[in-house]
Amino acid sequence: MVKLKINVNGKDHNLEVEDTMRLLDILRDVLGLTGTKEGCGVGECGACTVIMNGDAVNSCMVLATQANNAIIETVENLERDNVLSKLQNAFVEEGAIQCGFCTPGMLMSAKALLDKNPHPNEEQIKEALEGNLCRCTGYIPILNAVKKAAE
Amino acid sequence: MDNIIGKKVKRVDAYEKVTGKAIYGDDIKLVNMLYAAVRYTDIPAGKITKIDYSDAVKVPGFVKIALYKDIPGQKKLGPIRSDQFAIVNDEVFFSGDVIAVVAAETKESAYKATDLIQVEYEAIEGIYDPRIAIKPEARLIHPEYKSNVVIHYPLRKGNIEKGFSASDHIIERNYKTGFHEHAYIEPETITVVPDHVSKGYSVYGSIQNPFTTRKVVALFMGLNMNQINICCSTLGGSFGGKDDTVNYMACRCALLSKLTGRPVKLTYTRENSLKESYKRHPYYMNYKVGFNNDGKLKAMKINIIADSGAYSSQTFFVTWRSVVQATGPYEIENVETDIKGVYTNNTYTAAFRGFGSPQVIFAQESLMDEIAEICGISAHKIRKLNGFKQGSKTASGQILNKHTVSLNEVIDKALEKADYHNKLIEYKKHNEQTNRYKYGIGFSCSYRGCSLGAEGTDATSAIVSVQADGSIYILTGLNENGQGMRTTFSQVAAEVLGTDLEKIVFLNPQTATITDGGPTVASRGTLMGGNAVIDAAEKVKMRIFNIIKDDLKVHSIAETVWKDGTISRKDSKDNIKTIKFEAAVEKAYWSGENLSAYGWFKAPNVSWDEETGQGNAYFTYVYGAHVADIKVDTSTGKIEVTDITAAHDVGKVLNKLGAEGQVYGGVMQGFGYAVLEDYNIQDGIVKSENFDNYLIPTIKDIGNITPILIENEDDDGPFGAKSLGEPTLELTSAAINNALKVATGIQSYELPLTLEKVFLGKNLKKPSRQSQVAVHDSCKIHYKYADKLTLRITDIKTRTPKDLKDALEKLSKQELKVLSGGTDLIIESRMKTGKHTLLDISHLDELKNIKVNENEIRIGCGCTFTKIVNDENIKKHFPLLNKACSTIGSLQIRNRGTIGGNIVNAAPCADSYPPLIAYNAVFILTSKKGVRKVSADKFIIKNYKTDIQNDEILTEVVIPIPQKKYNFSYFQLGRRNAVNITRISIGILISFEEDKVNECRIVSGSLFHKPMRLGEIEEILIGKKLTKELINTIEEPLKKLIDDEIGKRWSSVYKMPVFVNMTRDALTEIIEQRG
Repeated sequence: MVKLKINVNGKDHNLEVEDTMRLLDILRDVLGLTGTKEGCGVGECGACTVIMNGDAVNSCMVLATQANNAIIETVENLERDNVLSKLQNAFVEEGAIQCGFCTPGMLMSAKALLDKNPHPNEEQIKEALEGNLCRCTGYIPILNAVKKAAE
Repeated sequence: MDNIIGKKVKRVDAYEKVTGKAIYGDDIKLVNMLYAAVRYTDIPAGKITKIDYSDAVKVPGFVKIALYKDIPGQKKLGPIRSDQFAIVNDEVFFSGDVIAVVAAETKESAYKATDLIQVEYEAIEGIYDPRIAIKPEARLIHPEYKSNVVIHYPLRKGNIEKGFSASDHIIERNYKTGFHEHAYIEPETITVVPDHVSKGYSVYGSIQNPFTTRKVVALFMGLNMNQINICCSTLGGSFGGKDDTVNYMACRCALLSKLTGRPVKLTYTRENSLKESYKRHPYYMNYKVGFNNDGKLKAMKINIIADSGAYSSQTFFVTWRSVVQATGPYEIENVETDIKGVYTNNTYTAAFRGFGSPQVIFAQESLMDEIAEICGISAHKIRKLNGFKQGSKTASGQILNKHTVSLNEVIDKALEKADYHNKLIEYKKHNEQTNRYKYGIGFSCSYRGCSLGAEGTDATSAIVSVQADGSIYILTGLNENGQGMRTTFSQVAAEVLGTDLEKIVFLNPQTATITDGGPTVASRGTLMGGNAVIDAAEKVKMRIFNIIKDDLKVHSIAETVWKDGTISRKDSKDNIKTIKFEAAVEKAYWSGENLSAYGWFKAPNVSWDEETGQGNAYFTYVYGAHVADIKVDTSTGKIEVTDITAAHDVGKVLNKLGAEGQVYGGVMQGFGYAVLEDYNIQDGIVKSENFDNYLIPTIKDIGNITPILIENEDDDGPFGAKSLGEPTLELTSAAINNALKVATGIQSYELPLTLEKVFLGKNLKKPSRQSQVAVHDSCKIHYKYADKLTLRITDIKTRTPKDLKDALEKLSKQELKVLSGGTDLIIESRMKTGKHTLLDISHLDELKNIKVNENEIRIGCGCTFTKIVNDENIKKHFPLLNKACSTIGSLQIRNRGTIGGNIVNAAPCADSYPPLIAYNAVFILTSKKGVRKVSADKFIIKNYKTDIQNDEILTEVVIPIPQKKYNFSYFQLGRRNAVNITRISIGILISFEEDKVNECRIVSGSLFHKPMRLGEIEEILIGKKLTKELINTIEEPLKKLIDDEIGKRWSSVYKMPVFVNMTRDALTEIIEQRG
């Protein structure tokens, strides 16, 4: 078992979990934050993307021990007091959501970018989202949404 | 005129999706819930002689196992022909057949139990090519059906022999398309819960066609339809793919739920999904065409063999659409088409967006360009000459006159927007010169029959239920897959009733609450469902109208306008007030009116003669054209798509964002089908196991997509709208193929257009190992304790050291695997069995520094690639390293993966290695005993093996700062533009003295058994002027060098010439840098 202290969306948690647990499992199964999704389990699709210590990471590729003392931000943190963030509104307005399964991961990759670089160019946006696969939207509405949020 | 339809509106289900609150199948967690796991077969074809699960039941947490004998109802299932097993009996037919299914308290216990189920077989020699399976002497895969041919559809029009006789030219061509995987980002998932009211079950999860799922589960469980309630969860994409697979998952869960009395959840891993779920049919197509000198088509004879895989599933329907549309949108007097769906022991094939059209369009649209060239006319002209016009007669004898035949319009608009004619001239001119990059532009066009057509029962349902306060529920029998159906239907209802979208709640369909509306397929959602919603809404509207008509002093509903939440007279007479919708509803409610109505829409009549293949196949059609603008790297065979212009006649745009979204998404999938997606199955064994080797497009893989939505309102469509979902995918591959022809002169007859296909003219597949090749009948295969059947992390312990000293102490005492970033190690752990302990050094800050002094840079091995890529000093002094590291994986991977991990893992494609060798890096290995230095080129012994000792940690990489100025060049080849496994890479550093090459370092990556400096080639260049002529002289020695090292490998026929090209290109770039 691994003892870990982890801060998720501003709240501290002291947990004891199996060594084999991934950060993804801790979020979904232990903390009940099911917004973060599993699409492949091998760090290819990005559906499990969360922000860890300021960087976008695949939570399926982080073992429990590695998440000790980490500060994690998930999609559940974007809406505040029933108000959607600018980024979320941009996704809605630009048609960047179809089935929505890739959306949490896309949002977190986009947010990690905008937190570091509030006005990225197209190339920088593509680099930030290159690890997030989408099968529905053809990416163009998502690109437009992040550009809108970066204005 | 239109208030809400046609406008850009927000999706009604956007909020829950953008906040992460939407409940998808795997998000469901219930009290007392069990987890299921499946035991697949170990071989693709054979008889099961023994199943031993005695070890499985002993696993702590194991609850129940279900086998064939436990099936209470109908054992064999299938949409048309019941030849398929949710759980097989004593024979397996493909790698994804399920032998047993287990329920346990935790996921891990379920997986562990299935790992311990031992199965013995008598292998049968499988048949993996439908052209072999179709032969009379071939073994019958399902003997009870007396033939491996599942179905044969003929189509006969005119007189084919006369047509050929009357032709100036006759050509014959063969085309091939492969398996295609849906790759929805949400893997399949089902949860079944016992329902004590109906004495049946409720089924939740990723379900596309709820009524089909219900039918199958009811049959399997021996229950009535009204005892199975399908409650669709939010669906994470489907594209036609969450039908049969999901139905059989539901059967398995229902059975386990019956046996245990508890809820049971089964969620697939991506590996499960790629192995078991059905794919698009591979087609082998032979086209024989007779035409005149002017390009007029006289006769077409088409012969198609479709690989149905192990089961018939949707083959009957898929092949039928192909027989109708195989000629393309062209008027041809004499047509003979035969299509046969054939059993094999491959993954079975069924519905996927397009449904039999992408294959034939690839063939016939590529063919049209070829015919145009033979006749010396343009690709545009040949379409004009032969394409459907108003009143044209199709191959099946249908006269196209009930809708606007807009084939020419979509072609003209697409070509104009893409500037096709000018670019064609410009590109042809450019390509005449010898350039590394060639440019191409090509187009394709199609027609598509909307909805199910003559082979299906085509009706659908809707309920519009207005509440006493004016708020509204909508339910339909059709299901939101993600395409935006809920929004479209809400818009339609809002338009009819004149209310706001905010007043409408669209309920997820449950089969218990609404009549069977048929499956959500065939791009019939808007067309059929929209009409049903209108029907329901208009019924309610009429009832409300009848209550308030006297207040407005009107006689007929046509005199009223329902808009913006009010009802008013069309001719606004000042002294008659408008009535608010809510007020009208309230009045109607209190009058005892029924404010809820069922809507129903049945498709207009169609017809089909099975013998002749003649009839009015579909009640209406849509037309589309795609233009592909591409750039081809002739050094490597890589296609870059600059732009796809996609013109589609949709009848009417109801949901603007939704319609454009369908174009973007469909084109992207079509591009993947054309270039990237290569489902690899050899001798029945699935090799495309996950998204690392089944590649779908990333955000970096297409430059631009330009949708053109054309509206020719259809009399039968809701507000004139018809189909869009599938036309957007089916056209792209032929457009790219035609563009490729313009760019390189290559005529390809096969998809996908991989690097090898474009460069060599053929695809290369790693040959099966002898041990995997099919065995003959008398051979018994016994599997004991199969390897991890479900890949996941098991049996590891992790230990966290306080600091480096503590880490080294622990390493000296125990065999531990060092965990740094984890992006390689975790994937490895997923595949490994057996207990092992990981030493987590990811927290050791002392390993994360980058130290610079005047002589060297020391990079701590715990530095992530992001840190390295962002470091200004490394960028300045070691640009090769910077460039190579910036291409690794994705940003998420680079944020975790460390240089130490990359080096010690020593994968053949490890990108940091070649630059480190080029820069003469030295590795510092630290143990309790002390420190050791090893140079980069000596550290790696071969792929996945380095000189590191068990008690050592790689702590630092030391790179001497170059004292001279070096020109550098780096090329990395991957199949797509992001998240690649490097196919080949080359890094070059050259310093010059006066004009001559002084120092030269050339390093290869992913080419030989380890990254290497090519000393022999360096020698040729040193001391000479770097010119094009000099570069040419290295070609032969380089070829020899490569041939000596890897000549015998299967991939060398591609890698050798490509590496030579890349070397030439890299050196040429250095010449250009120097000006």
